[in-house]
Amino acid sequence: MRILAIETSCDETGVAVVDDGRRIISNVVASQLAHQETGGIVPEVAAREHLRTLDAIAQTALRDAGIELRGVDAIAATVGPGLVGCLLVGANYGRGLALAAGLPFVGVNHLEGHVYANWLYEGEAAPPEPAIPAIVLVVSGAHSDLVLMEGHRRFRALGRTIDDAAGEAFDKVARLLGLGFPGGPLIEQAAKNGDPSAFPLPRGSGGDRYDFSFSGLKTAVMRLVRSLEAKGEVPVADVAASFQKAITEMLAEKTARAAAEHAVDTVLLGGGVAANLALREEIAKRIGHPLVVPPPRLCTDNGAMIGAAAFFVLRHRGTEIPTAVRSDLKLA
Amino acid sequence: MTLLALDTSTAWASVALYDGRDVLAEETWHAQRRHGDELFPTIERLLAYARKSLADVDRVAVATGPGSFTGLRVAIAAAQGIARGAGASLVGISTLDVLAYPHAHSKQRTCALLPAGRTEWYAALYQERNRKWMRRSPFIVATLPDLCRQIGTHTLFVGEMDAEAEQLLRDLLGPKAIFAEPASRMRRAGYLAELGWRALEAAPQAKLGEIEPIYVKQPSIRSSFDQPFAPVPSGDAALGLPRRS
Ligand SMILES: [Zn+2]
Repeated sequence: MRILAIETSCDETGVAVVDDGRRIISNVVASQLAHQETGGIVPEVAAREHLRTLDAIAQTALRDAGIELRGVDAIAATVGPGLVGCLLVGANYGRGLALAAGLPFVGVNHLEGHVYANWLYEGEAAPPEPAIPAIVLVVSGAHSDLVLMEGHRRFRALGRTIDDAAGEAFDKVARLLGLGFPGGPLIEQAAKNGDPSAFPLPRGSGGDRYDFSFSGLKTAVMRLVRSLEAKGEVPVADVAASFQKAITEMLAEKTARAAAEHAVDTVLLGGGVAANLALREEIAKRIGHPLVVPPPRLCTDNGAMIGAAAFFVLRHRGTEIPTAVRSDLKLA
Repeated sequence: MTLLALDTSTAWASVALYDGRDVLAEETWHAQRRHGDELFPTIERLLAYARKSLADVDRVAVATGPGSFTGLRVAIAAAQGIARGAGASLVGISTLDVLAYPHAHSKQRTCALLPAGRTEWYAALYQERNRKWMRRSPFIVATLPDLCRQIGTHTLFVGEMDAEAEQLLRDLLGPKAIFAEPASRMRRAGYLAELGWRALEAAPQAKLGEIEPIYVKQPSIRSSFDQPFAPVPSGDAALGLPRRS
């Protein structure tokens, strides 16, 4: 089953064609560059850009796949969570396409997309599917969710952030250090030349619960940078490395504990922050389970992950297939 | 040949089917902010009334505002998808043009008004000239007192006016302010369909992605994610000045 899938929940316009929820036939992602200039995402600007580019990107995805709309079996689009003005563009374009072409339309939860990015592959040979049950950590600029995946589309929330998302903490620290936007890759780059033990930063325990809190760490970094500035030049690489060490340890500790306390086969990662190599290493060394992480370009938002999730929605549907846009959708 | 007309420019929405001569089906409703959920069920209902399917639709007309940016994008994105999926041609028509159109026969100078948030209004002025009904002003965004300063003569007001706005216009213009009957002030997609059909007869359609809202106001900042949103960029680029004024 071939699905044409659309992702417009934030600042990436993505369209992909995915076969049977796993094989990527084409995957086109256009990152909106306007937000780099403004140092953050302006929702109205993002929505305008999605509307301007989506049809052309969908055409490119079909062309790359070497098929026409007739060769597609279903249309999928992200219906939440995300910026509502952005979601409406992708969802309504997708519904229009589906109705006109006589195809079913599948509304997809963006977070399920990040989970099912772990099922995707390119090329001919299919790697084995990730084993479930699994512990899943979805970390991005908008989300930090720790979830028990009991089976396909059966998720139980263990913990989530009580303040900032992990990716937001990266963005804010990057801005503080004058590195730019988005913060994740820029911090990771800067940290390569730094000493992660240069500055002690609080990990915050949050007790034995699985919820995350990054505001204490963020404040500590802010104080540290201010006091370093007062003394002279800020050693950007050392601060970046120390911050990265602290935040990856916080994420890895709870993920590893969740994996130890539940009978699972695998640990899965997803979301833009999962592209961070230090996070992968930190989690891998703490767990006794296989760690599955999508390649970096499938960690960040893209259409292929929506195509994967849509396939599993159709295969494991409970009742009705969702179509309505809900900006506050949750994974569980 | 069948044309599908879609309008989600404001809290009021309207959909129609048209065959080049007659309106086959039409529905106009107060959608508030539920356009996204209600547009497609309405399209399917109208197709059923008219005993048509989207396979019969080869033309699509969509209202491009000015109006609610998010609302406008619902119908425009849907129209782009439908046009792409059905292989139909697509045309965008200003929502204010649709409002003024049925009053062409009045021969009266007509001002089409739509709310632009807080105390501001979108407006455009229409009048017959050389026996041709034309838009005679750019798309304006202004308060009613500012707008009335540009209005010297008797003017028929149409569009979405609440009682307060109507009273203010009466106070500002006295007997020069004339009001159409409430039912004839409203937008109906049947008129959008007629205008769209005519536009497609006259000129070939643009690229689908070029059909976009008429942005005559700066984008407002609203956070759904509480991300570090940046200030709105300044300058003409951010204003998105109207393309057909
Ligand atoms: Zn995401």
